[in-house]
Amino acid sequence: MKHMLQQVFHSPKFVVGFIIFMSILLLSVIYPIFVTGDPLVIIGKGTFFEPGIYVNVVDGIDSQLYSLSLPDVAEKRIALKLGATERADMKEWLVAFGIPEADIDTEDTEALLNIWNQNYDSKLRLPGMTNARKNYFARLDASIDNLLSTEGIIIASKDPSTGALTEEETIGQSQYINVNRTSNVKVLPLGTDNFGRDMVPELISAIGTSLKIGFIAGSIATLLGLVLGLVAGYVGGWVDDIILFVTNLFIVIPSFVLLILISYSIGQEQRGAVTVAVVIGFTSWVWTCRAVRSQVISLRNRDHVNLSKLSGHSTAHIIISDILPYVASYVVMAFILQISSGILSEAGLSILGLGPKTSDVATLGLMMNWAMIYSAHIMGKWWAYFPVIIAIALITFSMNLMNTGLDLVFNPTLRD
Amino acid sequence: MKGYFKYFRNKFFWFVVTLIFAFLLNFLLPRLMPGDPVAAITAKIAQGSTSIETVKEVYKEYEQLFGTDKPISQQFVLYVRNVFNGDFGTSFTQYPRKVSSIIGSSLGWTLALQLPAILVGWIIGNVLGALAAYVKKGWDKVVMPVAIFVNNLPAFGLAVIMLVIFAVQLKWFPTSGGYGFDLIPSFTPNFIKSVLVHYQLPFWTLVLIAIGGQAIGMRSMSIYELNADYVKYARFMGVPDGKIIGYVFRNAMLPQVTGLALALGTMVGGSLVAETIFSYPGLGSTILSAVMGSDYPLISAATLIVTMMVLAFNFLIEIIYGLIDPRIKAAQSD
Amino acid sequence: MGKVMLEVKELTTKYITRFKEDVYAVDHVSLKVEEGKSLGIAGESGCGKSTLALSLMGYYFPPLYYTSGDIIIDGRNISGMEPDDIRKTILGREIAYIPQAAMNALNPTGKVINFIEDVVRAHDSKITKAEVYEMASERFNLLGLPPSTLERYPVELSGGMKQRTVIAISVILGPKVLIADEPSSALDVTSQKMVIRMLMDLMEKQVIKSMIFITHELPLLYNVTDDIMVMYAGQMVERGTAQQTVFDPLHPYSKGLMGSIIVPESGSRGVRLTAIPGTPPNLKKPPFGCRFAERCRYVTPECIVRQVEPVETSNNRMYRCIFSEEYLRKAYANE
Repeated sequence: MKHMLQQVFHSPKFVVGFIIFMSILLLSVIYPIFVTGDPLVIIGKGTFFEPGIYVNVVDGIDSQLYSLSLPDVAEKRIALKLGATERADMKEWLVAFGIPEADIDTEDTEALLNIWNQNYDSKLRLPGMTNARKNYFARLDASIDNLLSTEGIIIASKDPSTGALTEEETIGQSQYINVNRTSNVKVLPLGTDNFGRDMVPELISAIGTSLKIGFIAGSIATLLGLVLGLVAGYVGGWVDDIILFVTNLFIVIPSFVLLILISYSIGQEQRGAVTVAVVIGFTSWVWTCRAVRSQVISLRNRDHVNLSKLSGHSTAHIIISDILPYVASYVVMAFILQISSGILSEAGLSILGLGPKTSDVATLGLMMNWAMIYSAHIMGKWWAYFPVIIAIALITFSMNLMNTGLDLVFNPTLRD
Repeated sequence: MKGYFKYFRNKFFWFVVTLIFAFLLNFLLPRLMPGDPVAAITAKIAQGSTSIETVKEVYKEYEQLFGTDKPISQQFVLYVRNVFNGDFGTSFTQYPRKVSSIIGSSLGWTLALQLPAILVGWIIGNVLGALAAYVKKGWDKVVMPVAIFVNNLPAFGLAVIMLVIFAVQLKWFPTSGGYGFDLIPSFTPNFIKSVLVHYQLPFWTLVLIAIGGQAIGMRSMSIYELNADYVKYARFMGVPDGKIIGYVFRNAMLPQVTGLALALGTMVGGSLVAETIFSYPGLGSTILSAVMGSDYPLISAATLIVTMMVLAFNFLIEIIYGLIDPRIKAAQSD
Repeated sequence: MGKVMLEVKELTTKYITRFKEDVYAVDHVSLKVEEGKSLGIAGESGCGKSTLALSLMGYYFPPLYYTSGDIIIDGRNISGMEPDDIRKTILGREIAYIPQAAMNALNPTGKVINFIEDVVRAHDSKITKAEVYEMASERFNLLGLPPSTLERYPVELSGGMKQRTVIAISVILGPKVLIADEPSSALDVTSQKMVIRMLMDLMEKQVIKSMIFITHELPLLYNVTDDIMVMYAGQMVERGTAQQTVFDPLHPYSKGLMGSIIVPESGSRGVRLTAIPGTPPNLKKPPFGCRFAERCRYVTPECIVRQVEPVETSNNRMYRCIFSEEYLRKAYANE
């Protein structure tokens, strides 16, 4: 046993898979210990906030101000607000307005802004321009207003009785605040999802739930397959006939269809993560059963089993001590594959809207489902779906690697 | 030929038995759940936006269709008769459209998408797998990691990635649908062109999904065959390598045919989910919208059709397999 | 002395493993087979006898590689030839092979005749299908196989039938040398007998001119072949006539090998069976001295430090040991 483990851990494929898998597992276990609180709490009022560092504006104004003279302040500001598309749009408006195309240089920011500020009129609706387009130009104009100004922004307080504004302070163009000295800063490394939930704790809790679903589904499927396979293979006769009959049926009837039917019949209210896992487990034991059965049949008439029979050992004893050790390596591999296919099945079901009840837990499939419903993929909100796909792929990939590694150790003929 | 007939009869028997069993499951599963299905159905519609009138009408129709007042054996007979008449009832979400007509219009899309995609993917996958096994150097280092990576991505994940790259970023293909949303299905060149453009992305995605698993399987099968004794013997009898490769690939390919039959169910399941990512007007999207709208008759019919589709193709593959592999005939004539 | 059909001089071949290690499974082996004669090769599993069979074909593919030495068939040295020329002109025609596991030696999805066509066409591309068929059914008839076998798939044939079919295919082009690698060890006793009779038939009917027969079953060799060569750890350790090698072995390993079996011959009654202790050396790092030293009961320090070359005795025998014939005979007699 020790020797076998040693061999397993010498297989580079297994080790790489094991490290990836354990890192994911540990992350989903350890993270909630340090970051307590509901991972599904809604913090964002709005959908799909971009990843970034969010600084409370009032705190920002209240903080200690630092003057830094850095050369490229204006350029950076322009770069963010005036991209290539905006410049092209401005040119389009100006040309439609009647400025000769040769006079407009989109590269020269100052000249472009000058010519824009001289000519642009928000009330003007140019021929052939839709209303939406007109509004777009008005918004564009507002955002580039003051872009080149060197004046500061005035903070004023309002007199409650008269309503008059009194200037409190001026924030100059070169003033900074230190994020570390600001009381309310929220880092959202993966932004928020469509509900406004922080993606990071949600993703980690989803990984945890999905792994749990995988483990439950895999355990049920493997246990069921193993027991039925052992019984069918060892006992034989009509028991074997019946079990073989059932497995033959379930091999052709797509298990995914069964999953859909059962999940739907259970109904949304009753569908928790565990229920879904159990359903997946009960629909995916067939392959394990078939493989165990055929191995047991080949083992059944080996000498050591016959010897055990002659020694008067009970059937249970023979199965446990003379047959099980020989199918153990296969069962371990099947278990690993069952876990990863369980996770995939949950994801597939959830995308069709048949996953666990949505308000309770996050699973990788549900996150994918919501991202798709809110068209995150079409709107370019990559942070809402890409990390989910990567998480699923990493889990299945690591499990497959472990499986291949084990296969190479247990079946030397496969080495090429 | 006697051997083959025996094989065929055996397979046909299994086909019929599984079909009956599939009917039984489709019939029983919703009925095994607590409560009477018709009441459950109407309760679900009552939550929806459909009017009271509709609910009453639907209730009456379903009571008749399911025969809930009769014993369960009679219900089953009624159910099978309805299925064979193509009568799956009326859809809730698209009331008063018949379920059979909704299924009819989406089945064609799914067949036209999945059948060629799985077939093309199977062929390409096998060729790549065989090359990886035979050429080994280079190929094996490139093809296999890519195939393993693709194989590890879930089908929907691959679909999303393809969609984002080719439709959203590069804008080569439209992001969703089976044809332009401003067109009405007809046999005009405009419409056909639109269908073809919309077809590409889902098609190649499904092909890619199919390639991964097949290439990996074919590679190990070919390596196994290349080490077989008959290869060594044929070489020592002076048979040229080209001929031997011919034997090897034919022999490695044959198990891949049964492999396809066995993987068909999983493939179709994955493809249905991938379909929904592209909002392709096939059965996948139909199931999705039926689930969203709690449209029980539609779900029941769609799952039954998918099962029948898989069963039928499975049967077809096994029949063809029996024709091309001489071992089958020999095994049966003993 | 008859015409020499096959002469092998100092043939060395090696395996290159996955980890790029060299394994010399055939190490400077020389042998000679005359027309109408057969040579048996004996040794325990892993001694290199099957590799020798593969190496004798002169046609190498990974993981087996040619290193040095000559293979001369009927006066023609094939060692320097292009692999493709060997394939077209030598394999099947001059030298043919019967594999160890005939069970799987035929393509399971091709009819027997289709494979024969491929074999014959590989050497003569102009021959027609009908001619091949005629030739094959004639040969099958001659060897007592029903020509209907030609239309069968290998799965439709029983084990013994399959082995005899493979033999018939191997000799379809009338090779001068036939190499049979354990052709009967996987069969039941009746089929074994038929296969052996068929091989002897081939010699009698002059379908083949000479034969090399490889097996670990010494009694079989004694009955079938004229000469016997014993191999140990990739090297020839003893060579002589069947009678000499079985009843008067010189090398301690041959002695041990013969002591571990019963040859059903008068005088063998009452002989105690003995086993050779230990296992053969690892051929990745063969010992410098005598390769058998570690297991030899007569070992001296000199055996380990000195390379041992084969010694030729007066009556045309060869053995690889530092002791003289007399010393060894005396030692054996004192047991």
